[in-house]
Amino acid sequence: MKKHSFTFPRLKYKQDGIINFVEYKHKRFKLVYVVMIILLLIALFIAIFPLFFLLIQAFKTPEEINSNIFKFWPEVLDLGKIIDVWQVSGLGVYFTNTIIVLIGAIISSIIFNGLLAYGVSIVKPIGSKFVYGLILGSYMIPTVLSIIPLYAMIVNLKLINSFIPLWFAFGANAFYFINFKNYFDKIPKELVESMRVDGCGDFQIFFKLILPISKPIIGTIAILATSAAWGDFLLPKLVLMEDSNFTLMVKLFSINATMGTVAGYTPDMLLMALLLSIIPQIFIFLIFQKQITGGSLEGGIKE
Amino acid sequence: MQKPIVKTHDYLQKRRGLIRRNISGWSVMLPGIILFAFFVWIPLLSALVMSFTETIGFEIQGFVWFDNFVEIFNDVDFRKAFQNTFVYLGWSLLIGFIIPIILGLLLSETIHFKGLFRIGIYMPSAIAGLTIAILFSFLFDPSSTGFLNNVLKWLGFAPLSWLEDPDLVIPLIVVTMTWRGAGATALIYLSAFQQIKTNYYEAARIDGANTWQRIFNITLPSILPSLSVLFVLQVISVMQVFFEPLVMTNGGGADRSSLSMLLLAYQYAFQDGRADLSSATTFVLFLIILGLSLVYFALVAALKKRGYKV
Repeated sequence: MKKHSFTFPRLKYKQDGIINFVEYKHKRFKLVYVVMIILLLIALFIAIFPLFFLLIQAFKTPEEINSNIFKFWPEVLDLGKIIDVWQVSGLGVYFTNTIIVLIGAIISSIIFNGLLAYGVSIVKPIGSKFVYGLILGSYMIPTVLSIIPLYAMIVNLKLINSFIPLWFAFGANAFYFINFKNYFDKIPKELVESMRVDGCGDFQIFFKLILPISKPIIGTIAILATSAAWGDFLLPKLVLMEDSNFTLMVKLFSINATMGTVAGYTPDMLLMALLLSIIPQIFIFLIFQKQITGGSLEGGIKE
Repeated sequence: MQKPIVKTHDYLQKRRGLIRRNISGWSVMLPGIILFAFFVWIPLLSALVMSFTETIGFEIQGFVWFDNFVEIFNDVDFRKAFQNTFVYLGWSLLIGFIIPIILGLLLSETIHFKGLFRIGIYMPSAIAGLTIAILFSFLFDPSSTGFLNNVLKWLGFAPLSWLEDPDLVIPLIVVTMTWRGAGATALIYLSAFQQIKTNYYEAARIDGANTWQRIFNITLPSILPSLSVLFVLQVISVMQVFFEPLVMTNGGGADRSSLSMLLLAYQYAFQDGRADLSSATTFVLFLIILGLSLVYFALVAALKKRGYKV
């Protein structure tokens, strides 16, 4: 037998689960298995089809989309349309803005939640338990409920049209904090104490010891923050007023809201812009799918 | 290590170290605390205060106590949104709660194309909710050129007006939310299913339990903790439905048939300039969520008392 040969899984070797090889000796159960695979294929189709639909619609001309005769495929596949839409809608600016917000959000979610978690988990100064309680207490309360006063505070600080509130908002995330704290709780105290004996302060310990040994959790938080910041809508919508400051989501929303009233944007252009905004998300997902689906237990909890 | 000779010296040094440690600890925590205060705690308290006051713009003028609540409960829009919140909840439990459990079960019971199924079914969860809401409003195009209407025509059915139909709009928004969320939730169930020990099933098999008996007596009771947590999280999250009706029905629809409480709060604040009514609305929503969470925790405690693993 070759070492790396691909072997098709055989039902007679299925050891665990509700139905196993014992039942699969019977024809009836083999039929059940086929039905299960068919159901999964249907689910897969439903999951993928709308994306496929977007891909096809995005390449149609406005006439084709509004035509009375429905045709599934576009008449011609014009790849130049990608560049046309990109230039006409100036998507480059919004992509750049999104990436600027994204990078700030990732850094801020790691540094601030991490530092706070380090304090609560390792240094434990008097009163840190109280802080921990406050964070846990506000964890179950959806932050959107207090968006109005937050907006008023941002207005008062004259931070409208600035990315600063969007960055720092990620530094106060109870879910990221709890993940960091749970990870830091497992770090041996001796490591920290030995650095303290060497005369290092807490900031030094955090940046020189804790962060380098916390790569797995930093990776997880970075991935979570990436997808959260990319799709973040309400706060950017309120804070960013100038078109040149819009993130992709805010721009897509504004194209969608003004479509039909403002000349220049046709449905197919919006669809192409949607497609272009989805592609990076799918790429990020495919690259990190192991970490994302593995971390979906914790990730799903916040959703 | 050398033992210090004088006891008090040791004590003083320890004390000094302790103080220094506390100061250092707090200075490490300070940036995070400031951010939490700014983005979470102060806004929450302000929202609470604001719902009992009168505002001009976003400035508090003075306490009016329960006037805002009286005003919103007399507002037709608020009543509609309040009612819709529970319609959303009902549909979301009907459509969105069972599907991920079945998907998770199917994923854990099959051994072919594992990677393909998992990645494919999770894929929608990787995409931003706003883009999906826009995409689905195209899919649910009510005109005769819309895709789904053409599918219906091809199958020999009459076309639907989809999101413009007041009876269909909330279920369709829930379908959109489920399409996005089901895959991620299914994978949580999958990992819960896979933690069930094989010898439980073996023992049941020896006792002659059939497949359904195994599912209802072993599989489902074993995932009760995940089931109950995901249930309450789904309830909390669907209560906050906001940008789907905003995008898909252009702000709740002409007849307000898909208006949600959060969307109404947004409109109070940013269209009507009534931050006080907006805060009162979110406060009512907060009370509903709090109430449901308390019911949940009471239920879990009661079940635990009876020896269930919840």
